[in-house]
Amino acid sequence: MTPALLVQSAIVGVSLGSIYILMALGLTLMFGMMHIINFAHGAVYMLGAFVIYYVFFQGGVPYFAAFVTSMMLLGLFGYLVERSIYRPIKGGIEPTLVALLALTTFLQAAGYPVFGQLDKHVPPVFPGTTNVLGVGISIERLMIIPIAAALVIGLYLFINKTRLGAAMRAIEQDKEAAALQGVNVHVVNGLAFAIGFALAAASGALMAPIFKLDPMMGEQPLLKAFIIIILGGLGSIPGAILGGLMLGLIDSIVATALGAEPAFLLSFVFIILLLLFRPTGLFGYAS
Amino acid sequence: MRRKLGVPIVLAMLAALALLVPALGGDYYVHVFALVFTNVILAASLRPSLTCGQLNIGHSAFMSVGAYTSALLAKNLAVPFEISLLCGALLATLVGLAIGYPSLRLRGVYFAMVTVAFVEVIRLIAQLWVSLTRGMSGLSGIPKPSILGMTLTSRASQYYLVVGLTLVILLVLWKLEHSRLGLIWKSIGMADNLAQSLGVDIARHKLLAFMLGCFFAGTAGAFYAHFIRFLFPPEFGFLMATNILVYNYVGGRGHFVGPIVGAIFLSLLSEPFRGSPYETIFFSIAMLLTILFLPGGLITLPRKLAELRSWRTASAPTPSPAA
Amino acid sequence: MAILEARELTRLFGGLAAVNRVDLTVDKGEIVGLIGPNGAGKTTCFNLLTGFLRPTRGSIIFDGQDITGLRPHQIAARGLVRTFQLTTLFQEMTALENVLLGLHLHSGKGPRQVLFSRRDYPADEIARGRDVLEFTGLAPHADKLTRNLPHGHQRVLGIAMALAAQPRLLLLDEPVTGMNLDESGHVMDLVRTIRSRGTTILLVEHNMKAVMGTCERIVVLNFGQKLAEGTPSQVSTSPAVIQAYLGTGMADA
Repeated sequence: MTPALLVQSAIVGVSLGSIYILMALGLTLMFGMMHIINFAHGAVYMLGAFVIYYVFFQGGVPYFAAFVTSMMLLGLFGYLVERSIYRPIKGGIEPTLVALLALTTFLQAAGYPVFGQLDKHVPPVFPGTTNVLGVGISIERLMIIPIAAALVIGLYLFINKTRLGAAMRAIEQDKEAAALQGVNVHVVNGLAFAIGFALAAASGALMAPIFKLDPMMGEQPLLKAFIIIILGGLGSIPGAILGGLMLGLIDSIVATALGAEPAFLLSFVFIILLLLFRPTGLFGYAS
Repeated sequence: MRRKLGVPIVLAMLAALALLVPALGGDYYVHVFALVFTNVILAASLRPSLTCGQLNIGHSAFMSVGAYTSALLAKNLAVPFEISLLCGALLATLVGLAIGYPSLRLRGVYFAMVTVAFVEVIRLIAQLWVSLTRGMSGLSGIPKPSILGMTLTSRASQYYLVVGLTLVILLVLWKLEHSRLGLIWKSIGMADNLAQSLGVDIARHKLLAFMLGCFFAGTAGAFYAHFIRFLFPPEFGFLMATNILVYNYVGGRGHFVGPIVGAIFLSLLSEPFRGSPYETIFFSIAMLLTILFLPGGLITLPRKLAELRSWRTASAPTPSPAA
Repeated sequence: MAILEARELTRLFGGLAAVNRVDLTVDKGEIVGLIGPNGAGKTTCFNLLTGFLRPTRGSIIFDGQDITGLRPHQIAARGLVRTFQLTTLFQEMTALENVLLGLHLHSGKGPRQVLFSRRDYPADEIARGRDVLEFTGLAPHADKLTRNLPHGHQRVLGIAMALAAQPRLLLLDEPVTGMNLDESGHVMDLVRTIRSRGTTILLVEHNMKAVMGTCERIVVLNFGQKLAEGTPSQVSTSPAVIQAYLGTGMADA
């Protein structure tokens, strides 16, 4: 691997890592609040990408408007899922996980008859390449980094500087105490679902112009998000960010050297070994 | 309690199925029901893990290991079926040990995530190791099963093989569930902190339940390989693993026959759209409806209907005019 | 003679010390109380002593053996048994079945018997289970489903199960919290009786009357550190302790 290739895959890795971070943040937020793993995260990523396909590509709406639409639509969907699935189950963790599993398989399977069998492509929003540190990088991939960063900063500001964000932090620490303080736990949980789904949709929307679209496209990002969460510890936001970046870099560099699938295998083996010797992950707390 | 009534009924059903299908139906029905019994093995063997409170979404990976192992040993090394099946089951168990040992010590959610990732890993290995498994072209030319050197050539004889395997496996699982070990598993699933504080080594017991499931999943896989005689990596992916989970949930988690009922019911109903997205749509809707409206699963249906009937007779003395 | 010795017991979460260099000793036959305001680290201490949490630093010696870092079931097998704060019980089983599970620890069953013995318990175990229920006053409820028992009885059942595991040191986690005067009096009587049969007791409690009335020695925690230690009268008159509580709860001691 030449130095130029290394730099190139590292930069692509940061771009990839940004997407992973968005996915992992959504997952970790939902876990921190409700102690559930959103198995439907991958399906939402996929839907986020398909919204871009229909609204931006087929519908001719400007990209940023379509992007916001995607996030809002799927955020709303997240809120509805909270109301119609999470809430009736009354918070039992296992039935909720299983229901989310059912939701994800449904969405992915329904994608085939609804979206059709043929591969779909979204043309690049920012065409062309540019020179960074002496290597050529597609502008499309580069643009992901600032957009994702903006979303992460937006999330940070929301959680730490707004009242709703404070309510979320309160629920994360102690649900009953928060409820006693007058926090409407249901609405805030719905908000957590909405934000989590919106972040997943944003990831999909950003990646839509880069990879081909198909109903199962969310599967890999979901597994990557899982690996990050295991690495960084559930419920840990710094862990999600650092882990996302690390995995993005590793994936990109190893994938360039060996191919995408062996890279995935390697990261999984790494996780298993890590779990053997450090059962709490890199940052996580004791089980 | 319904418990006493349900078991003999289900056993009678199984016996009837076992005996009548080859007599009444043609090769097509024998084929379908052989797969139904395979699903029964898969569903029932997941139950001990679920009893311990472990959400295992990777069961199909172990079926895959058993299938490929047995197929390759028989095809490439002419290993007799009984041995290759055993090897398949054992390798599946060893792989289960390798995955289960580090993961079962973790919180349940971590374990679930690891199993989901693991299914992908096995699929990828099967797909990429083309020299061994023929990857996406699929592995064909797998020999038919044989007993003591005699090949089981007819569909009916293979069908009876899987019926026999199913009955033996169900018997073992039944005995274990009703032994002290089964009680320990149940206590772990109910309140694992409490079990630990009373001296139960929950990590070891969860691993045992998991490995047992892997062994039987591997057995089912081995049979499947020699029955269908063609293996294709994506078949044993996330969707199949979820299906096995669905058999348990829709059938009912509260009783031994739950997964059996779920497997039979759902396999038969989904048969018309096997292999198409509609099969998955059907399964996922069944799962969602069950969780939302009949959380105890199908086995609680008789009780629910009885409750509904007594409620209706108590509150509606006059028949409605539209009836 | 000390049955339990914890030295420099520390547990960090991130950078925060939930328990900070706590030394705790319990002598054989004592009833020791562990008290402190909410968030003082009492439950964390319990979790550390019983293996549910690993200490970040420090050591725990139980009856001469180092149990630091052992897992909960190993510690329980050595005779250090705990109860739980909430009604953590096997709700879908009867009271008797719950206690019988507690007997599992000392039932002496090898692997073969575990696999093939019928789930129905042998007569001698059932008899021992009934004895424990009798001892704790729950005999009339032996065959009732646990989730149908009133709250107070469920808490006592938790103690009964722990007793079935034949503890040498029993750690009671808030045994009377939420109970009325009658119930708590009955439970504290039970605690004294358990001690008189040879089991050492360490308990965490908020109910000051119960603690002051039953414990011979009290350890006070605040912000994860040991604030004071002594007899009930010493502790209840210590200005540092009173200040930590700001007068709440100490008034009715």
